[in-house]
Amino acid sequence: MPTLPFPQLLRQLPAGVATLEGPELRFGFVNEAMYSLVGADAAGQRIADHPGGLPQALLGVLAQVYATGQPYVAKACLCTPAPDAADCRYYDLALEPYRDEQERVAGLLLLAIDVSEQEATRQQAHELSLVTRRLDARLRVLTETAPLITYTLDAQGRCRYASPQWYRFTGQPPAADLTAIWPLLIHPDDRLRVLYEAAAARRSGTGWNYEYRLRRYDGQYRWMLSRALPEVHLPDPPVYWHGALTEVHDQRELADALRRGEAEVRFLADSIPELIWTASAEGFIDYYNHYTTDYSGLNKEDLGPTGWVGLLHPSEQAEGARRWIACVASGEPYEGEYRMRRHDGIYRWHIIRARQLADGPVLRWFGTCSDVHDQYLLRQVLQTQYDELARAHHDLDTFVYAASHDLRQPALNLRGLFDELRRTATFADPDQAQLLAMVDGALTQFDTTLHDLAVTVQTQRAQQDPAEVLDVGLILEEVVLGLQPQVLARQARLDIDVAAAPGLVYGRANLRSVVHNLVSNALKFSHPDRPPHIVLRSYLTPDGEPALEVRDNGLGMTLTDARNPVFQLFVRQHTHIEGTGVGLYLVQRIVRSHGGHVEVASTLGEGTTFTIFWTRPA
Amino acid sequence: MKHIVYISRAVHPLSDRELERLLQQCRRDNVLHGITGILFYSHGNIAQLFEGEPAIADTLFNRIAVDGRHSHVQKLIDKPITERSFADWSMAFHPIEPQGFAALQGFLLPHHVPPAPESLSIADALLVDLVRLAVFGADPSKPAH
Repeated sequence: MPTLPFPQLLRQLPAGVATLEGPELRFGFVNEAMYSLVGADAAGQRIADHPGGLPQALLGVLAQVYATGQPYVAKACLCTPAPDAADCRYYDLALEPYRDEQERVAGLLLLAIDVSEQEATRQQAHELSLVTRRLDARLRVLTETAPLITYTLDAQGRCRYASPQWYRFTGQPPAADLTAIWPLLIHPDDRLRVLYEAAAARRSGTGWNYEYRLRRYDGQYRWMLSRALPEVHLPDPPVYWHGALTEVHDQRELADALRRGEAEVRFLADSIPELIWTASAEGFIDYYNHYTTDYSGLNKEDLGPTGWVGLLHPSEQAEGARRWIACVASGEPYEGEYRMRRHDGIYRWHIIRARQLADGPVLRWFGTCSDVHDQYLLRQVLQTQYDELARAHHDLDTFVYAASHDLRQPALNLRGLFDELRRTATFADPDQAQLLAMVDGALTQFDTTLHDLAVTVQTQRAQQDPAEVLDVGLILEEVVLGLQPQVLARQARLDIDVAAAPGLVYGRANLRSVVHNLVSNALKFSHPDRPPHIVLRSYLTPDGEPALEVRDNGLGMTLTDARNPVFQLFVRQHTHIEGTGVGLYLVQRIVRSHGGHVEVASTLGEGTTFTIFWTRPA
Repeated sequence: MKHIVYISRAVHPLSDRELERLLQQCRRDNVLHGITGILFYSHGNIAQLFEGEPAIADTLFNRIAVDGRHSHVQKLIDKPITERSFADWSMAFHPIEPQGFAALQGFLLPHHVPPAPESLSIADALLVDLVRLAVFGADPSKPAH
């Protein structure tokens, strides 16, 4: 057996080895590993003088170990290898006495094993366990205070944990067998489904997410949302599923109510024989009622979010699309009249209307298309008939004007010939003289009638008379001045009061015509027992509308409806006074055609008051 | 040949760099696959019309639908067409730094987007106008709405 080079081995040992020789404990042998603790120059020095990085605790026991010969071991001692070294290291230190031939203690063997790594690991483990404990506490507090039930199931479906909320919710005792009881608390209608889905998820190693009714402590079933995920440590299959159970009863009831409400609205919309649709805030149609598909012969996919525009008449599509974009951009309601193609290719007129409902942050459009084809056609027929009537009316006016104009000349000729005849011929019979007077009267009547007819037609023509701001007082004066002979003949008194409303926006000729007719009527139908007194008053009604009152103290007349009198052409009340019955008819036509109306109050034998409301219809 | 229109929301607003990269990547891929059309982007709002062979268009849409960069993908239309309406594929958006973008192939400022092509049906043209309104607002020349 070869001699092993012990000193060599000792020197290279990874543990520190040193001998402390004699009672003075001088360093003898010091190997390389020990250098880092006591320095390379320790050999021969007393340990008391040269302690290096050795801890005080060790130095204190040296003498005792030497004296008693009892070994000493210190685990994980903190040593500072050099006074200025920053890193502290941990050593397991051992003092073993060695003896001479007489079995007396001759010195101490010092062993130092660097255990810094192990110590650091140990300390880390300790800190980790503290963190774990804190996290654990936090998790516990959170799971037990959150308003939801947490639970853990294993791969066999056994319930390994349920948070205290489960017991509070179900009212079960803490000793309850969770795995056995839980399925029994699920509503019978949901139980099989839940067990099946949970088992399927466990088999496939996935999570789950479903709702079911769970019996509460008071026996009521409440809707719960159950969600769980497996705890995965690849490549092993999951062993535990952790999940949470939240009560969603109220939300679910609300959602059910909303669904019911929506279904009811849809049902209603589907029952109405009109095209009804809804659109998103961006203007994409997301619902068409049944009638829309019946009418168009297209299904909802064909129509799509904008397909409705294709139903419009080709000439109106671009305008319809433009208007819809403008409404979506501005939020203004949509309204228009369009022809829409029916399934048989026939276009029918519709009014399309849509309005935006802003219910909270969600905007939606609700639209209808109402078939107005028949009304549209009717309106067109009426318009055509109206146009024809207006034309016929105009033709008639022209004819009357032409006729009255053309007849005046022969009438004048007749008058001339008659006057000539009367001047040259002599009539002996007094009856013949009377006959002559009658012919004379008839001729005058004939001429007046022709004149009035021409005036009537001219007045109607003049209804395009442009409106301007008129000085009412001035025009009244002018009209009265024109009637001066009649005023003087009847010794009439006229009072004009325009202070309350001196101005009026009206056609000049029309105003003159109205006033002229009323004043000349008042003069004509004056009472034989008293001179006429005529009051003209321009004023504003309480609504601010201009009005003219013409009051006389004449014969008065019989009225059927004072607020809506009917003045007919050639109808006369006082046949003993000459006239044609044109005046009042004209007045009413002028006033009505400008949006106003005429009211009359009258008492037979006392007088008449006409009130012209220039702008307000009756 | 078919075309598909969808709108969606970007998960986070896209930066100029991201938009430029998207434009270049899509133009390369779309030329390769014969996809033409237009994409609108503004403030996280996305809308795209694209046209191509049915199988390729469907594959593209399926990939778009699961792309994590956007959500709320809503397909508005998916139907056969007889002819293309777009000559190439382009993108319209408001860069924060517009200089440099003008020279990029396939880039358009939103208010320079031409009106919907005549070859689109009136319903599809209206749809394109509505998605443009939804993305850019009433005045496309203004970046914010």
